[in-house]
Amino acid sequence: MTLTEIRPDAVTDRTIAGRSPLQLAWARIRTDKVALVSGLTVVLLCALALAAPLIAAWNGHDPDEQFRDTGITAQGLPIAPNGTFWFGTDRLGRDLFIRVLYGARVSLLVGVVATGLAALVGVVVGLLAGYYGGVIDTVLSRLMDVVLSFPYLIFAIAVVSIAGPSLTATIGVIAFYSWAAIARVVRGQTLSLKEREYVEAARSIGCGDLRIMFVDILPNLLAPVIVLTTLLVPAAIVFESTLSYLGLGIVPPTPSWGNLLSEAQGFYRVAYWYLGFPAATLLLTTLAFNLVGDGIRDAIDPRTERLFSRRRRRSRSRSLSRSRRKGA
Amino acid sequence: MASLRYLSIAVVTAASLLAAACATDTGTNGSAPPTAAQNTGNPLPGGTLRLVGGGDVDHLDPTSAYYTVTSGLLRGYARQLFNLNGVAKEAETTKGFAVVPDVAAELPTTANGGISADNLTYTIKLRDGVQWDTQPPRAVTAGDFVRGFKRICNPVAGAGAPGYYTSTIKGMAAYCAAYAKAFETAKPTAAALAAFQNAHDIAGVRAKDDKTVVFTLVQPAADFLNILTLNFSSAAPQEYDQYVPDDATFRQHVISDGPYKITQYVATKSIKLEKNPAWTQESDPIRHQYVNTVEVKMGVTEPDAVQQQLEAGSADLSWDLPVPTAQIPRLKSGDADFKIFPGAVTNPYLVFNLQSKNENGAMGKIKVRQAIEYAINKVAIAKIYGGADVATSLHTAIPPGNIGYQEYNPYPTPGDQGDPVKCKQLLTEAGYPNGLTLIGAFRNAGNHPANFQSYSADLQKCGINVKGLPVRQGDYYGAFLQNPTIAKDSKWDISAPGWVPDWYGNNGRAVSQPLFQTNCAAGTSNYGCYSNPKVDDLIKQALAEPDASKAAGLWHQVDETVMGDAVIVPFNNQNTPIYKSKRVRNALYLPAFQLYDITNLWLDPNSP
Repeated sequence: MTLTEIRPDAVTDRTIAGRSPLQLAWARIRTDKVALVSGLTVVLLCALALAAPLIAAWNGHDPDEQFRDTGITAQGLPIAPNGTFWFGTDRLGRDLFIRVLYGARVSLLVGVVATGLAALVGVVVGLLAGYYGGVIDTVLSRLMDVVLSFPYLIFAIAVVSIAGPSLTATIGVIAFYSWAAIARVVRGQTLSLKEREYVEAARSIGCGDLRIMFVDILPNLLAPVIVLTTLLVPAAIVFESTLSYLGLGIVPPTPSWGNLLSEAQGFYRVAYWYLGFPAATLLLTTLAFNLVGDGIRDAIDPRTERLFSRRRRRSRSRSLSRSRRKGA
Repeated sequence: MASLRYLSIAVVTAASLLAAACATDTGTNGSAPPTAAQNTGNPLPGGTLRLVGGGDVDHLDPTSAYYTVTSGLLRGYARQLFNLNGVAKEAETTKGFAVVPDVAAELPTTANGGISADNLTYTIKLRDGVQWDTQPPRAVTAGDFVRGFKRICNPVAGAGAPGYYTSTIKGMAAYCAAYAKAFETAKPTAAALAAFQNAHDIAGVRAKDDKTVVFTLVQPAADFLNILTLNFSSAAPQEYDQYVPDDATFRQHVISDGPYKITQYVATKSIKLEKNPAWTQESDPIRHQYVNTVEVKMGVTEPDAVQQQLEAGSADLSWDLPVPTAQIPRLKSGDADFKIFPGAVTNPYLVFNLQSKNENGAMGKIKVRQAIEYAINKVAIAKIYGGADVATSLHTAIPPGNIGYQEYNPYPTPGDQGDPVKCKQLLTEAGYPNGLTLIGAFRNAGNHPANFQSYSADLQKCGINVKGLPVRQGDYYGAFLQNPTIAKDSKWDISAPGWVPDWYGNNGRAVSQPLFQTNCAAGTSNYGCYSNPKVDDLIKQALAEPDASKAAGLWHQVDETVMGDAVIVPFNNQNTPIYKSKRVRNALYLPAFQLYDITNLWLDPNSP
């Protein structure tokens, strides 16, 4: 049985060649349309976020500029979407389109930086705990348990009341909450990896603990870490929005999606756009990140079964029908 | 001014007599159903009034209750010597500022001997037939009022504004000091508190006999009757000696002398009031007993949700939440159940922390503050609250409806929309040609963040960068602004609080004194610690001035001095949008509480 028989659409070139795991992953992900579209969406969102100042300069609407004559009615109601304000305006007469774009900068920044920090801490702690075992493992594992069992909103409220709300505090709180999940997975993988023969070999030729951990074991952990990290980004974005919504996150007037949603809550009955656009963007972003994460997981680790994978079901039914035909 | 006041009192009294007459009519002739369109007409008794809102009362004990919502409910179960009436129409709002007798038989004057010639002694006769809901019902006596006053400075749950009493009543300050001293270390048990109260007297509050209370003042106070209308001045039955003030047990044993009594109180969930059988219509000139039951349901914290319930008819009045700002334009265009009553408040205003050392003590420099006076676009801020119908630009430290108000505009800008050029010019003169950065503290709930963003955008235009400092709503006044240590540590430079006076009309003691008199102690309402001997002196003179028009002149001088010093930037005078369900009739608005009077409305059974 060749590869082409299992996945007829995975490889177009039928010449047989050696493939690295990354090449294999890429070959698999290329056939996953959902992941590709989601990936494109993420790239597009990042591009728009990066280009926000350019777009603002192009249409002349600063994110904090209040158009008190044209962007708001005499009774203080926002203006519906039109040629000037594509997404309408907010309650202070600011351009909602520009604010959603600028909000993407904050949300993506928080999502990526907080998750990056969490991954860094999580990998180091998980490696140490899994590799050394014993007392170190017990202490670090209990620490993870403690962090994972914290009621996160109460903790966030406490931190923010002491430190005062800011971008740094928000990133810190989110990172604090996310590292433990990664550390747990890394610890588990390390536990099984450190018993492998190649690790034993490395140890027998006199490699140090640090070298074994970071040079021999770490690369084998990257797959699950990448997957987890991708899935944590949208969680972090939602977390940031929650904090900002509650007035504990980003300090206004800096727009973040949570701030926009929070401001809009009194207006949803009279101004659909005020709540609608930020909410839709938030939904789109988290959905895209989640689907990309799923796609990467499927591609890197084909053994894990995805519950609702159309591609799998299709290929399975195809091979099934083929075998039926053979039988008939 | 004085004559005008009494005229309006006469009118209101006449109106309430008329209403009382209607009530007796209904007793015999209540079968005629009113048409849906009529708002007054023959009241039909019965039904359950449903109030829905977010939070709990602050206290149920009349001595300590201070929230306006609590005051609105308290009107049903606790009576004072004097009171205020509700008004039916927006244009009549100022009539609701006039003091009328409640448990007192009549308004004391020098002519009827109620007030002594030197304006220092008030002799007040009590009305007959006012009873406590005890078994059997017992008459409310002068001694009950004396007990009420003695409870004002109890160390457990005392009055929120004891200053009104200690600054007017003879011996009150000494009594309160002794009370505080006695419980510095002693455990405040119910028995110990009662023992102290029964063993000590306030020199200026005496029960001459069961039906006469005599007050002696330290100096003439033209607003003394207003002070007697406050919740804190309620009578207290002897049974209250058995409880620690306002503790959980007390809240289950509140005794009523009004038309309603509390039959159920579940903290943070619900309150139920039912008719008080000990109350009689003849003994009460201002209240009625139309509805059978009043139910308060708490836990609905979204103004929009409450508004939807009112419009659907599943609730009758909002308990503690405002009409949602975004709904006002729609309601205003043709909903008969929606009204906007004119306000008499400074809300919001910008206060400067004069103690701040930030930016070389910029807030202490008058030119910087004056620059900011010119910077603000008051029209834009009004839009946050619903536009010009709801909030009007304010130029004076004392808002209309309060003594000393005279319209003048010390810092005019074109169309009240701010003048960045003038602001920049003054900043340069003050030594800040390149602008400066200030810390703006704001409450992170409701309309407050929008308000903060609006004024900081104005300041940005003249080169002042404002860094936001969000403060939790519940901490904002007590734990933040009223804590002078925080101000001294330069934690904030500017902030936008609001001021709603405890009473209107002759109220220098409730506006100018708390806001502008030198007071940098914890709990001050002079948040920025402004201190000007000239202002202090004017306030002292004005408070002692028995002639209302002369006093008004002095209060106006306070206003001019304060605005000259640019101590605050008055933003708006906010009107009160208020909504009721269709079936609520005879809704009388109480300006002091910004609520409808639950003791005068009735429910139309023909309305859904």
